[in-house]
Amino acid sequence: MKTNKLSELLKGTPSLLLMLGAGFVMASSSNLQAALGMGAAVLISMLLASLVLTALCKFIPAYAQLPAYLLIITGFVSIIGMLMQAWLPDVANMLGIHLATIAVSAVIYRKGEESAEGNIFPINTALVTGVYLTVIMLVSALIREFIGSASIWGQPIEFMANYKISAIAGAFGGYLVLAIVTAIINKLTSARNTEEKEDK
Amino acid sequence: MKLIKTFAILIVIVAVFGGAMFALNFYTGPIIEANNAGAANARLDAVMPDGAKAYEDITATLTLPEKFVSPANDKRTAEIVAVHKETKNDFGYVVEVAWTSEDTHGSEPNLVLVGISTDGKIINVNNEGYHDTDAYNIFNKDPKYTSTFIGKDSALADVGTVSGSTHSSESFRSAVSFSFEVLVSNNMITAGVKSDAQILEELIPTVTKGYGKLAEATASGNIVKALKAENETGFAYIVTEGDASFLAIVNATGACAVYNVEGADVTADKAAIVTEAKAHAAANQTNYTQVLTDKLGKLMEGAASITNIEVKTFNTVASAVTFTAENTTYYAFLSRSIGWDSRVMNIYYIIDGNGAIVKTDADQYVFEEHDFKEYGGFLGLPENYREGFVGITGDTFTGNEVIISAATMSSNAIKAATEDIFAAFDSVKGGAQ
Repeated sequence: MKTNKLSELLKGTPSLLLMLGAGFVMASSSNLQAALGMGAAVLISMLLASLVLTALCKFIPAYAQLPAYLLIITGFVSIIGMLMQAWLPDVANMLGIHLATIAVSAVIYRKGEESAEGNIFPINTALVTGVYLTVIMLVSALIREFIGSASIWGQPIEFMANYKISAIAGAFGGYLVLAIVTAIINKLTSARNTEEKEDK
Repeated sequence: MKLIKTFAILIVIVAVFGGAMFALNFYTGPIIEANNAGAANARLDAVMPDGAKAYEDITATLTLPEKFVSPANDKRTAEIVAVHKETKNDFGYVVEVAWTSEDTHGSEPNLVLVGISTDGKIINVNNEGYHDTDAYNIFNKDPKYTSTFIGKDSALADVGTVSGSTHSSESFRSAVSFSFEVLVSNNMITAGVKSDAQILEELIPTVTKGYGKLAEATASGNIVKALKAENETGFAYIVTEGDASFLAIVNATGACAVYNVEGADVTADKAAIVTEAKAHAAANQTNYTQVLTDKLGKLMEGAASITNIEVKTFNTVASAVTFTAENTTYYAFLSRSIGWDSRVMNIYYIIDGNGAIVKTDADQYVFEEHDFKEYGGFLGLPENYREGFVGITGDTFTGNEVIISAATMSSNAIKAATEDIFAAFDSVKGGAQ
């Protein structure tokens, strides 16, 4: 039962499922600081939006839930954006327009919809999705920053200076690393799903 | 009814978030504005003391000085781009100056930011971007060079140049000096006072265009400072006479000129200074007459009656003689012009009585050297390069005859050498020789 719940949660891992979040994951994973900033922004906005939507879902007709959810997530993303620009300006500048695009990410809409439908406990869903998204971005960022920029957390790694591959820090490298990370996680999760089926 | 309810819910959501953002903006708005201003001002802060926060662009309110063009070389320029006043703490001004040197590539100039306090002292200097030859990058050659400007007033006393980056560092120094002009001319600060010795020293590049970088030599008697040209084409001296100071210059052929602090030529009135300067130079000057004479023997068969002559130009000419061959009088000059990699080239010219080049040669044109090929892809002198000079006179010489693409610096040095020997020839023909 515990395993089934975890599998259910893993279904929501953004970059594994239809690559819904590939765009801003790629854009925000060129270095660790940006990845952590974006991960935190996504996690907080998802948690708050899920809480509010769950509280209001009884009062909002089904056909109005999409526009309502879009308004709510946009509001939270805007508020988080304002807070980051005020107190984390470097991270906000690093993320740029990608921070605002969280509001229209299909990942967040999908999780919001699931939450509203009461399929799964919304806080858990938002939390797991946000954490997985952050972890995937951090792993991708670690690889891209190390190989593409010869640094970790902005600190130069001297022995890598002559071996860095700048393309890895760019868009092509972003998709390449994301594809590899996704493939590895897909392999791990498919193995787990197979074990579950055999148990049944 | 459903439609009204939906509409109302959406209005409420918009109102709640709109209100929240409106309220939040009261707190974050000024902080964000300050952050944005801080980012924009970071380059100005770099040349101001800690704590500087607010700037006002006052460029439009000022009368800007005309673009500076060095009398020593018209490619050395400086132009005021902007002037900012620090308004929060009244620390002073940041002046942005675009500058170029003869080593600047492309159309984009260098840009230096000079922070100047209200009492007219440099707080800090920072150069943004660098478009001069990278091999001679001032700030790589001497990373502490900009710190030598800190605390100086507009006189920039004791601020020198960078060895191996003479053109760029002299131009950079001129640009920093020029940054004061806009503030002084608009009565915002008072100008620093230059000593007579400093004024005279700054006159040297104007009156000795071919000397290149100067190295200090041993001074004696009334000579308080002796400077020797790196290409051994002459000396410059700061000489005192009573309370007054003078600049005396002596070239490698022994000619001397004396200037006062106003920059006027007072040679005729200062015989004692001329004598002392000539004596110092004669004792320390490398004599290139024999070098020229030896080359002459190879270039011109039957050269006879070789006589040393004194030319009254202060450039790259290191030796000059007159001689006869087949009953015709000729003039021969040796120029020691500075080419690529600051290397000196011995270039020889023979000129007939009408001022036309008869022959020319060099011990070694710098751009013939193998290591130069790695930089410019130059594969040697064009065929008949030397012969191309024959028949050229001072009036017909345009400079284009000697320029070779991919060997610009050495080509320019040969151009300068050719101009110098024609100037020397004119001084001989127009003088008492």
